[in-house]
Amino acid sequence: MTLLVAATLVALQAAAQGPDRRLARLDSLTRPTVAALIDSARAAALPTEPLVQRALEGATKRAAPDRIVAAVRRLASDLGQARDALGATASPPELEAAAAALRAGAPPATLTALRRVRRESLTVPLAVLTDLVGSGVPVDSAAVAVLSLAAKARDADLVEFRRAVERDIALGAPPASATAAAAAFAAGAVDVNAGAKQQRPGRP
Amino acid sequence: MGIDSVGTSDVEAVRRVLDGDTEAYATLVARYRDRLARYAVHMLGNREDAEEALQDAFVRAYRSLERCDDAARFGAWLYGILVNRCRTTGARAARRGRVFVRDEAALNGVAHSSVAEQTEGEDVVRWALARLTPEYREAFLLKHVEDLEYDEMARLTGAGVSALKMRVKRAREQLQMILREAERV
Amino acid sequence: MFEPDEELIGRVVRQLRQPVTLDAGLDARVMAQIASLPARRSGGAARAAWRWLIAPRTVRLSPLGALAIAAVFAAVVLWRPDRATRPGRGRPASGSASDFGFVVVAPRAATVALVGDFNDWDAGRTPMRRVRQDESVWTAVIPLTPGRYRYGFLVDGVRWLADPAAPAARDDEFGTPSSVVTVGGS
Repeated sequence: MTLLVAATLVALQAAAQGPDRRLARLDSLTRPTVAALIDSARAAALPTEPLVQRALEGATKRAAPDRIVAAVRRLASDLGQARDALGATASPPELEAAAAALRAGAPPATLTALRRVRRESLTVPLAVLTDLVGSGVPVDSAAVAVLSLAAKARDADLVEFRRAVERDIALGAPPASATAAAAAFAAGAVDVNAGAKQQRPGRP
Repeated sequence: MGIDSVGTSDVEAVRRVLDGDTEAYATLVARYRDRLARYAVHMLGNREDAEEALQDAFVRAYRSLERCDDAARFGAWLYGILVNRCRTTGARAARRGRVFVRDEAALNGVAHSSVAEQTEGEDVVRWALARLTPEYREAFLLKHVEDLEYDEMARLTGAGVSALKMRVKRAREQLQMILREAERV
Repeated sequence: MFEPDEELIGRVVRQLRQPVTLDAGLDARVMAQIASLPARRSGGAARAAWRWLIAPRTVRLSPLGALAIAAVFAAVVLWRPDRATRPGRGRPASGSASDFGFVVVAPRAATVALVGDFNDWDAGRTPMRRVRQDESVWTAVIPLTPGRYRYGFLVDGVRWLADPAAPAARDDEFGTPSSVVTVGGS
């Protein structure tokens, strides 16, 4: 009983402390709006750290106030959508990765499907999906490939898959076919090595 | 890549070099020079660039010898360095406008004759090889001329096995097309 | 008159398999170049440094994926763990943190800073250091907990560089290049 009371007091105290001190780096035009956005996100039980970091990035890069506010607002919205797609049990890293995937064009249905097929964290599969799209792979091809691997592949397999695709693209392969080929190869490798695949040191 | 076990083995030579006996490296250079030369000459299309790539590869291998995890596979490891060097050298040469010109018109003009001068033997085959896309040429040479297995090639080039198979297939198709054209002329 | 395809390729391959000899002076040139390098110190210390670098539990390299970029790092980067930078913390460590090494080539830079979501985009918090005095390779090691981090390299306090070996941050919001590293585990 005492523990519960103590924990509650700490929580209240934290809330009462006011906005994150780091936001002091923002100028007086930007700070209140960003602080309000962060408060809304907190009230909606969305992770606030990514929003703080996005604002700080803008501050460091001396971006215009409206650009910083727009960026934070956009991210907050993406995080909300991510939570809608993944459900309330999604962890903050999963939500961040999902937000980036949505921003890259992944349909929410893909995220929901990923949640269904994979028990482990979705952080890496979502990141791989986003990174592939960033490398020029059409979002549908990327989604299909990642979904096909997500059920059985470990994080390391997915990263290896992404790197294989990027290497092939860098050497001139068309992105969509490079993706399909690498996914087929990875699926075979996952099956064969399920269990004791040696993680190559130094390269996550 | 088999190990020549005449005299000092690779493992022995590598160990000596790592312990400070620089001269022992000469054994490895002599042992691998011609074997690597064949790949480099075909990949780059002329001896001068091939020598540059080889020299570069040998020196880099010497400087990073600690990174060769398994001295018994020194040859394969050195090979990987050479494949990389050929990519860099090839890119530089292309920018200088020297050997491999993909533009057909240019190849039928001045460039063709300089390629012919710099290479020996059957001009047509060398010329056809020169017209392949570099990554297809690389895969074709590693598979059909250097006789590597696909997983070995995957390790050397960083490409996936299926991508490599596709490149070899395309290389064959391109070569056939180019050579048939040549026969018609 | 058409040769069947297999025979055509077979002829090509047979010719290409002929041995090729290069000028034997190559050996002398290689050895001469090697002789001009600084004397190799005893293998032990260098190998120990390399083993530390590739040990899976302690250090993992940042996404050094693209082979074309890896060619830049073909010359070995020997890394002394005792001299690795230990900058201040960005995010509070919630999950377990692992060390990540970041590497960039910036030959003409006077200073390079690693700046990103993991250190509050504070340009002063994680200065990078040159691996060797006259080299153009800069490195920094920081602990990262699971999550997705945007970052960049700030050169001489004014110029932003993305990490050429990492996925680009797709949603570049502020007009400068950024990269992303994702750490799995939760």
